[in-house]
Amino acid sequence: MSDFYSYLANITVPMLQGMVITLSVFAVTIVCSIPLGFIFTLMVRSRLKPVRSFAKGYIYVVRGTPLLLQIMFVYFGLPLLPVVGDYLIFGRFTAACIAFCMNYAAYFAEIFRGGLLAIDKGQYEAAKVLGLTKIETMIRVVIPQMIRVCLPAVSNETITLVKDTALVTVIGVAEILHYAKTAVNRDGDTFAFLVAAALYLLINFVITMVFKKLETKYEF
Amino acid sequence: MEIIKVKQLNKSFGDNHVLKDISFAVNKGDVMAIIGSSGSGKSTLLRCLIDLEKADSGDIIMEGKPLLKDGVYPSPPEIRAIIMKMGMVFQHFNLFPHLTVRQNLELAPKVVKKEETGVMNKRCETYLHKVGLLERIDAMPSTLSGGEKQRVAIARALMMNPDILLFDEPTSALDPELTGEVLSVMQSLANEHMTMVVVTHEMSFAREVANKVVFMDSGTILEEGSPEDIFIHPRQKRTQEFLSSILRDQKKKIKKQYRLKKYC
Repeated sequence: MSDFYSYLANITVPMLQGMVITLSVFAVTIVCSIPLGFIFTLMVRSRLKPVRSFAKGYIYVVRGTPLLLQIMFVYFGLPLLPVVGDYLIFGRFTAACIAFCMNYAAYFAEIFRGGLLAIDKGQYEAAKVLGLTKIETMIRVVIPQMIRVCLPAVSNETITLVKDTALVTVIGVAEILHYAKTAVNRDGDTFAFLVAAALYLLINFVITMVFKKLETKYEF
Repeated sequence: MEIIKVKQLNKSFGDNHVLKDISFAVNKGDVMAIIGSSGSGKSTLLRCLIDLEKADSGDIIMEGKPLLKDGVYPSPPEIRAIIMKMGMVFQHFNLFPHLTVRQNLELAPKVVKKEETGVMNKRCETYLHKVGLLERIDAMPSTLSGGEKQRVAIARALMMNPDILLFDEPTSALDPELTGEVLSVMQSLANEHMTMVVVTHEMSFAREVANKVVFMDSGTILEEGSPEDIFIHPRQKRTQEFLSSILRDQKKKIKKQYRLKKYC
């Protein structure tokens, strides 16, 4: 039995290091892609046609291609671009974060757009006749209601994000699955995969709880 | 003193000419009721007065300041300054569902006027008391009845100290037994000489509270005058038809209620 525990500790410690990387990619992506996504939402609703077209085109391309491909493109592809390529050489971790932020921003943009569509136009009118400016209306009236509408979809997307971080192994970022694979190949025992699964479940358990709390907080 | 003056106002939605050369004036302290069948342009007219719809041509003068002059609007800050002197109550209340009753009332004074919290709280409580809802001050709008929502909406409009209050069918979305509480709040505002323009299907309100009634039909003001002029001595045939059809509907409703009672 003590053999089992020492083996477990043996494979889990590196995986916990990997988990730090996984959580870092996750955190950076959430922090950057949500505001970026909201900016894309506003651009899609812009009155200026070029701005609108750019945002729509961006969302189309990003949603229409595999995330795996996008990660490889940022890491391997961007440095090969003529002229600007020299300035676009990123480390593995940075490249992974950039690809994730760009990808998730597009999805969040669509989620937020849906949330805005759910808000009654009477809310804008009520705010206007009370003298609120457009920005005040957005911050005080529209966004709080949009958050409530979007939370379940954002929660869904966040859980997907945790699992998608496994893709960064393709450019050699050492996250949970990377260490699990190493252990499996070394020992010829698939037990490490179970440990990895348990770690992902643990992260997503916490996230599910957080979103549950948030949903109660924003209930009305 | 003329507080609202509208001259030759026109508005189209595409090919649909909804307001045709509308002209009228409202004096300070007037309660003007706008009646007419649906689609006659009443709501559109009201919404033009507070810039929720842009008119195509004509003049709208509010307290001497032009909101629309020869079909041209002033700059957005000027428009905002004018409409801040007005309040509006909507058919569907449009309370902010994520805020409590108190927060609904205090949002605009806090954000727009940067009013001091103590003064604002006091005023909030005064107005809620006035509409009889002080005890619901911390309730969420979703827990209120329709009549209560509309009374909160009226209090919210009063918080900005408007000189003019506009009502767009304030009782049309309410159950019949709840219209009374809203109408009595409006009645008390009329007694305090608040200038009000009310688009309504409540003929009893138009008749008893308003001192000026306007009858609109397919985008024009067909007839205007005192409640007696319109309800007792209507000059136009269309007005007579409209009033008698409304009366018929009301009689039908009473009959139906009676029938329901009999079978329940």
